Amino acid sequence: MKARGKTEGKDLLWFGLLGVLAVMPLIPGPLQGSFTQHVMIQILLYACMAQAWNILGGYCGQVSFGHSVFFGIGAYGAGMAVVKYGMIPWPGAIAGALIAAAVAVAISYPCFKLKGHYFAIATFAIVEICNRLFMVWYWVGGALGLDYSFSEPGWTHFVWYESKRGYFYGALLLFILVFGVVRWIEKNRLGFYLRAVREGQETAESLGVNSTKVKLMAMAVSAFMAALCGAFFAQYNYRVDPPMVMSLDMSMKFVLITILGGLGTFYGPLLGAALLIPLQEYSRALLGGMGGGVDLIIFGLLIIVVVVYQPKGIMGIIDGIASKMKRSEEGGK
Amino acid sequence: MKRRFFGKGLLLVLVSLLMVGVLAGTSLADEKVIKIGTLFPLTGSCALAGQRCRAAVDTAVEVVNNAHPELQVPLAAQEGIMGGYKIVLIHADHQGKPDVAKSEAERLFDQEKVWAVIGSYNSAATKPASFVAELKKQIFMCGCSSSGALTERNFKYFFRMAPTDKTESLEFVEFIEWINETKNADIKTVGLIYENTEFGKHAAEEGRKAAEAAGFKVVADVAYNPGATNLNSEVQTLKAADPGAVFGACLGGDYTLWVRTMKQMDWLPKVSLNYCTGYQDPIIAGQLGEDANYFMGGTGYAPEFAGLMPAVAAVEEIYKSKTDPSVPFDSDSIQEAVALFILAQAIDKAGSLDPTVVAETLYANEWESPLSMGGKVAFAPGGQNIKAMSMLTQLQGGEYKRVYPADLADTEPVVPMVPWSKR
Amino acid sequence: MGLFFQVALDGLFNGLLYAVVAAGLSLIWGVMDVINFAHGEFLMIAMYLSYWLGFIWKIDPLVSSLAGGLFVFLVGALTYKLIISHTIGKSAMSALLATFGLSMLLKNICLNRFSPNFRLLQETALGGKTFNVGGIIVPLPQLVIGIVALALLYVVYHLVKKTRLGWAIQATAMDKEAAELMGIDTEKIYLLVFGLGGACVGIAGGLLPSYLAVHPEVGGLFSLIAFVCVAMGGFGSIPGALLASLLIGLVEAFAGFYIAPVFKYVAVFGLYLVVVMVRPRGLFGW
Repeated sequence: MKARGKTEGKDLLWFGLLGVLAVMPLIPGPLQGSFTQHVMIQILLYACMAQAWNILGGYCGQVSFGHSVFFGIGAYGAGMAVVKYGMIPWPGAIAGALIAAAVAVAISYPCFKLKGHYFAIATFAIVEICNRLFMVWYWVGGALGLDYSFSEPGWTHFVWYESKRGYFYGALLLFILVFGVVRWIEKNRLGFYLRAVREGQETAESLGVNSTKVKLMAMAVSAFMAALCGAFFAQYNYRVDPPMVMSLDMSMKFVLITILGGLGTFYGPLLGAALLIPLQEYSRALLGGMGGGVDLIIFGLLIIVVVVYQPKGIMGIIDGIASKMKRSEEGGK
Repeated sequence: MKRRFFGKGLLLVLVSLLMVGVLAGTSLADEKVIKIGTLFPLTGSCALAGQRCRAAVDTAVEVVNNAHPELQVPLAAQEGIMGGYKIVLIHADHQGKPDVAKSEAERLFDQEKVWAVIGSYNSAATKPASFVAELKKQIFMCGCSSSGALTERNFKYFFRMAPTDKTESLEFVEFIEWINETKNADIKTVGLIYENTEFGKHAAEEGRKAAEAAGFKVVADVAYNPGATNLNSEVQTLKAADPGAVFGACLGGDYTLWVRTMKQMDWLPKVSLNYCTGYQDPIIAGQLGEDANYFMGGTGYAPEFAGLMPAVAAVEEIYKSKTDPSVPFDSDSIQEAVALFILAQAIDKAGSLDPTVVAETLYANEWESPLSMGGKVAFAPGGQNIKAMSMLTQLQGGEYKRVYPADLADTEPVVPMVPWSKR
Repeated sequence: MGLFFQVALDGLFNGLLYAVVAAGLSLIWGVMDVINFAHGEFLMIAMYLSYWLGFIWKIDPLVSSLAGGLFVFLVGALTYKLIISHTIGKSAMSALLATFGLSMLLKNICLNRFSPNFRLLQETALGGKTFNVGGIIVPLPQLVIGIVALALLYVVYHLVKKTRLGWAIQATAMDKEAAELMGIDTEKIYLLVFGLGGACVGIAGGLLPSYLAVHPEVGGLFSLIAFVCVAMGGFGSIPGALLASLLIGLVEAFAGFYIAPVFKYVAVFGLYLVVVMVRPRGLFGW
């Protein structure tokens, strides 16, 4: 009975959160500001990216610096459909996501036999290779990139110019999809397998888990969703070029946000994004114009402090509060 | 122990919340103020150029807002424009990233309520940022982004001061034909070296087109990744192909590395022509010392142009006080100052703050611009300044000597370049 | 044929430079299992130090490189004390992220303090000097860096393999608890290793301003290449890092010249993938 109550609490939190997010852009007042909405959209987008990474990096324990490649493929899917073929972005985004999943499986199959840091370095070697190849691949725009021209705003073309509300609900849909899938995985057998692989491949194998298959599945799902995020990114910025989407900088963001929020936890990616993105955006808005890189100094310092003093991320801090409250409750009795 | 860590974490969250609060509260309300945003790469690998551009705009605002009767520049004598309106600048940093440029442009317009934006140095960042301005029907003034594609979009609110890399490429080719005729330079082949970015690739494409149209053979096409640790294979490739002329688009640190590597490999083309790059940065030229000599490039301004552009020196003094006393204007940063001067003149003349009216005024007139070479600015549909000129200079004895076109020149070019062994 | 040897020589010189940058990283990585993302920034700091010493007091980079080594030794030790020591024994990712933050911090502090100017020393003892051996041009600065790199690698290798301190370092690397039981002060060893790793890159960085311009972003590509060198050689193996660096230098030069310069890093990173596919723990990994 007790376990059931816990599940209900979790459901309540999840649906409550979605409800709050859904009405947020409708509340009059400071939330109507275009920059505030931009920050909210970025939070949702980066939370989705981090959650996509979390499936593989957090739940399954495979640290990849290669996710910007999949993100980039998705972005190029949408960008090519719109710029090159003058179509709507949807088929491009889906195709990009499928290609990303296929590429992810193809490159991870050999890479998964690498352990620890060898795997991490291999993934970032792949990012560098892809970045450089896309820079000279002129069919997809090469170094010049793909620039969107004006098209009819709305859901069909997935662009909005006047108001950002459309993008917000687009990001929210993405959020529901990505977080929903992870919720489902968490509850399901796959989630159990993933964690088993993380705790120890040999042990997992002895329990009858096919660890390679599990890892490949996690990789495919993770890459597919990262690519969808990429497509959204392209639509949002009206432009795709390799340094924007396929770079180590971008890869680091996937990793950073997840770890800052809490590795392998469901709400970690959202919390990480909710802390990091506003900090990045507002400090740039406030201090970036001074030109001394002060915003980035603060940003770097913050990362160090959080990692050094609370390596379990924000979820660790929250757990700390929770257990403390519990203790004082018990003490009160 | 644990409690202390927790306390620090909480403190951080509080600090970040506080910052959000502070930001929400900032707003500037003044009647006679025109807010203009600047958007440059103030951090990242183009930070140097971006910070100079920002200082140049600051300089122009200083001149426009205050009475400077000693300056021979339009609007300098009076205080403010349009009967006392002052320009207030809001600076922003796009870090050299197009996505940041796009969101910062939106923030400048929506949040800071700026009336126009000046920017953005990197062509790749100018594209999405000016797209935002166009959608909002707000003016975007571009000083020095050189990609020709920017003014081929038929935008109505976009204006660019500098010549494009297309203009420069044509000038390079003309120059080679001229020295072939007059100096028996016997140049038949061209090599390209450029950083593989939007800027470099575009410049190289234009260079190739212009060279091939005039019947030159492009024998080497060398793209490299910016921020290189060495340029050995790049220079070795050039050396092996041995083109008569090299068109270079190497920025900052890569430019010094390129020159130094050519010296190590003891190779030089007959002429080396550079786009607006490391070549025209006087600080870099100074650091390269002797080695920088005899390189050439398109130049929109250098302190040695005082005879040609007499009004600049006094403005330059203000600029120097805003950056580093040893740094004069360069061809890029001065264009950003021009951008603000022209915009201010247009507002003043239109007598209105309706962007559409001002944009029409910008198109309808030819503007006095003592800071531009040629002294005039006028726009063609799409926003290109058709009066934009640059001339070819050559570094001789550490000074930028004007060498082409011949009617504006003050020195004969040294062609071919003096080989390393004879310096 | 002369061209072939010229390209090969340039590649070897670059390889040696990568090797000395990678050696420090390899040491830290092998002993502490920590990826130092700020390694390239350590290089940058040494370059700045050497530049300023040369600019203000006209000290030649040859001399400043010692100061660079010493200074970055201190920076490394301080980094360990203030940051890394707190992450030992926690998630493997925390040290990596903390050093990523550190790299951002250092880069932007230098931007803030020294401006984004590109800075290059003129008139150094080595700068721009070359000599000719049978039609092949040998650049003096690179030659000196190559020799220093080999000497430094030998010293570090000798230190780790042949001295009491080295045995203590090896013991700590193999099993921290066991080493502690044997009376080794592992805390001190870690501090020293981080400092030494910094010193290696510091000495290399000190020499560089005689031909490479200093600016806040200069370290980026170096640290990327150093990561690949270290992983390709096998973590913690100094001969491995040397061999991998030389290979990478050669591949970079040959791919750059015989294929196309834009593809040189595609070849370098591709080489790493090929090597680890065949030997999943690097060339000299165990």
